[in-house]
Amino acid sequence: MKNLEKISEVLGDLLDIDPEEISPENYLIRELSAESIDLLEIAVTFNSEFGIDVDDDAIFLKNLRVHLEEAKEKAQDPAEHLCRTYPFLPRERAAEILGDVTDGPVLKVKDLSAYVNFKLAA
Amino acid sequence: MKLSFTGRRALVTGGNSRLGLELSRKMIEADLFPILTARSEKGKEEIDRCLSEFEGRYARLHMDLSQPASIAEALSGMDEGIDYLVDFAQSDFEALVAAADPAKVAGYFAENVASRADLLKRVSRIMMKRRRGRLLFISSAAANRSDAGQGFYAAAKLACEALYRNLGIELGGRGITTVSLRPGFVAAGRGEKFISENRRRVEAKVPTGRVLTAEEVAETILFFLSDSARGFNATEILMDGGLSAGKTKE
Repeated sequence: MKNLEKISEVLGDLLDIDPEEISPENYLIRELSAESIDLLEIAVTFNSEFGIDVDDDAIFLKNLRVHLEEAKEKAQDPAEHLCRTYPFLPRERAAEILGDVTDGPVLKVKDLSAYVNFKLAA
Repeated sequence: MKLSFTGRRALVTGGNSRLGLELSRKMIEADLFPILTARSEKGKEEIDRCLSEFEGRYARLHMDLSQPASIAEALSGMDEGIDYLVDFAQSDFEALVAAADPAKVAGYFAENVASRADLLKRVSRIMMKRRRGRLLFISSAAANRSDAGQGFYAAAKLACEALYRNLGIELGGRGITTVSLRPGFVAAGRGEKFISENRRRVEAKVPTGRVLTAEEVAETILFFLSDSARGFNATEILMDGGLSAGKTKE
């Protein structure tokens, strides 16, 4: 996964964790205990380090439940709606999220990586 | 007491105001580098005229809170960072609450509150890169006690004070702190005309018997930006000579 090393470095620094212990499958909030101020700092640091504009709502999958409600109301396929709302997420990830959403905040390190690479490719 | 400053670059919005210009002169003398914003050609000319002896020691940018795109434009490419923000930008809207035009009200709040939130978001994120910054909001004693017709002005000031306060709460741990200053009657800018036409009456209301000078407000602002005032965060400071402290006189 491209840029994963740098991303782990940033996360390690901001969350006070050894970057070697950070894997793409780690949950930012559930496991790494990131709080909203940490997410803000992550966004600002990614902006500096990668030179990309960061939309906080997109990269951190904020309002996920609202979007899922929307899909339900409009009788749309939820996985498709997620991919439309968060175009940086691979299809398999959207499906994974749907199975996971009732257990807490779904955000994983690999989602941040997907966003960064998506923005860099743009 | 000699004031010391960690950091040099100060963004001064509404820099063409009398207070903004007075402050900028004092900043330059204290070896700070003010970046003044103004929204009209007249304002920009005024800045260059007043600071003509300081060429190369300040910068001037276009920014207009009623044009949100101008905020993004002004703050893009601030690679050298911003250490201080002193925020004078404010437009007027005098109307009784029960008589105000709703479209004008919406426009006024969009310009003076919503746009300011965007300004704060952008400036604080720039400051977060260096993990330090000081943001000073120039509010008004009207936020404490106001006169008929000042409801929307007061509402805008109070709303912005809350934004500044929360910024200080949220980012204080990251070295970014905020203060709102509420000056009372100042013999400059907005209130100058009213004061010159009603001098005796105004002075009689104030326990100190006088109005504030632009110079002393500028000095106070510099103090609140300085390292000596680091302990003040997420708070409002009233500077009105005691006007609101007493009961009304007949």
